[in-house]
Amino acid sequence: MIATITVENLTKSYGANRVLESVSVTQYRGEAVVLIGPSGCGKSTFLRCLNQMERIDSGRVTIAGLTFEAKEGPLSAEDREKQRQLRLRAGMVFQSFQLFPHLTVLGNVMEAPMVVKDIARAEAESQARGLLQKVGLANRADFYPCQLSGGQQQRVAIARALAMEPEVMLFDEPTSALDPQLRDEVLNVMRALAEEGMTMIVVTHEMGFAREMADRVIFFDGGVIAETGTPEEMFTQPKEERTQEFLRKFLNRP
Amino acid sequence: MTGFEYELAEALAAQLGVKAQMVQNSWDGLVPALQRGNFDIILNGLEITDEHRRQIAMSRPYYAYAQQIVVRKETDGLSRLEDLKGKRVGILGASVAQRLLEKAGGVDLRVYPGNVEVFRDLNNGRIDAALQDLPIAIYYLKKEPALKASGEPFGIGYYGIGVRKGDATLLQALNEAIKRLRADGTLERICAKYDLWDTRQTLLASYQEESLAQQRAVSTLREWPKYLPLLLKAAWVTIEISFLAMALAVVAGLLLALARLYGLAPLRWFSSVYVETVRGTPLLIQLFMIYYGLPSVGVRLNAFAAAVLGLGFNYASYEAENYRAGIQAVPSGQMEAALALGMTRAQAVRRIIMPQALRIVIPPVTNDFIALFKDSSLVSVITMVELTKMYGMLAASTYDYIGLGLITAAIYFALSYPASLLADRLEKKLRYDRDNYR
Repeated sequence: MIATITVENLTKSYGANRVLESVSVTQYRGEAVVLIGPSGCGKSTFLRCLNQMERIDSGRVTIAGLTFEAKEGPLSAEDREKQRQLRLRAGMVFQSFQLFPHLTVLGNVMEAPMVVKDIARAEAESQARGLLQKVGLANRADFYPCQLSGGQQQRVAIARALAMEPEVMLFDEPTSALDPQLRDEVLNVMRALAEEGMTMIVVTHEMGFAREMADRVIFFDGGVIAETGTPEEMFTQPKEERTQEFLRKFLNRP
Repeated sequence: MTGFEYELAEALAAQLGVKAQMVQNSWDGLVPALQRGNFDIILNGLEITDEHRRQIAMSRPYYAYAQQIVVRKETDGLSRLEDLKGKRVGILGASVAQRLLEKAGGVDLRVYPGNVEVFRDLNNGRIDAALQDLPIAIYYLKKEPALKASGEPFGIGYYGIGVRKGDATLLQALNEAIKRLRADGTLERICAKYDLWDTRQTLLASYQEESLAQQRAVSTLREWPKYLPLLLKAAWVTIEISFLAMALAVVAGLLLALARLYGLAPLRWFSSVYVETVRGTPLLIQLFMIYYGLPSVGVRLNAFAAAVLGLGFNYASYEAENYRAGIQAVPSGQMEAALALGMTRAQAVRRIIMPQALRIVIPPVTNDFIALFKDSSLVSVITMVELTKMYGMLAASTYDYIGLGLITAAIYFALSYPASLLADRLEKKLRYDRDNYR
């Protein structure tokens, strides 16, 4: 098995508040990992530390062979370039979509390949149309983000991230901002990606998705990994008491 | 304090049995200040003209002056009024020289707020000649080694003392006092002390007060075809200055905003100091410093360039703040999304942040453009004759402040309103919120 992401002793604080405490994880290629845990447990911060949306205090992150190590003081131009290379390996989908409102759906998907990879417009467009087909929005190519439903916007955001051909996809609560009836269309796209063998890490409260699609579930609590296992192990016979408590509360929720 | 008129005032006061007290006032504001009651008489080279006599009472003349052409020592051939055609000639606003030259026509007139500026620009080479009242020319030529009087004085006129129209007793007393000072030789003695006594002064004795010509009020509204072309020509200057200055402000403002938000520490520091100092000091002072101050360090800009740079760099500070607000109004998630896609910060700013910020700043920038358009009238202090200055000059000679004011205001409005409409349409066109597609 080939490791796609290796995290070693990652620590992150906001001021005096320690959010992540020496977290180490390895994710293998093709693996779909789902991070669960109570609000404020550090799972979203962990995800954002992977592609350097947040600076890490100590430890190191390796994605597809490129290692970024924690560093004190201001980042050099070289460090920033390294961060960028790391981000190119990891596509990210945000809770609040963050589509570019001034660009059409097609423009949103084409923009980064053209700007970052210098890909010719025609090529970028045919790639973008293919990706929009894949997320079921080929007929919305010329719409602006504001004309789409939340679910449609999130599917465009997934296509936009895929356009950079990342090694791994990071989903940060991708359905939390959506009405329940719109969640499935996004989850279906993610399901299809997982079935294709896309390496992905998903922070979510969708236990159904976790149970069905995850190769591995990681339970975060208080800034540390409290328990990890297959969905089967985690949802039917969790070992840790706090995992049991979390799942009991969560699954019994009306 | 010394000076010809200062000593004359002392002598007059002695005649009247009062004590003279000097009050300083700008020359072109003398008449209104007298009418307001800031002081009781004007004794400051005030010419006896119909314009002045329509507003205030004028005494008998105490001095007969003429107009003198002043040039740089190396200049030849500019010795008569006709020679000045096609030349850049500096004059004081609302002066006899201005009326003479406007009547002659074809002269590139540069109107100044004070004598010092006229002579400084003549030294600088910004103008070819100055046309001044003789006493003023004599006074300044003593201090200006590089300048000379050219040709004989011409265009006789008289200085008189200005008094409020109601003060008939004071006027009467002043007239008697002037007569006595001339008769007993005091006037000659004071003038001679300042090299001002000449053969022209014999005219004072034979001066006959003419009755004020019954001029009918000029209605510029009825005679608009005569004034409109002049105002439109000046409006073109306003347009040129405004557009160029705004273009400069928009570009410089953008650079300042980017420096302040994304630059290294020294750039951030420079940008915020620039914005705060330029925004916090009067545009008028900045214009004076650029036009009259910079030549002393070897930078000699013509009035047009100084006007564009002054306005442009002043408004750049406001535009910088507009952009900064616009950029900060773009949600921070947009930058994150762009960075997450592998863009550099510069790419993200250029492709994602700026296009959104520009839409946000259209309304405030339009506002500023309209404000700049009107602020451009301030450049008249550095001799630019733009729309407001032309209005002032025409109104000063016709006294129709209302009629000309309406025409001028209409021109300003006709120019600024389309700018608002254009900005409105642009804003609507670039909007990407839901309303636009319903």
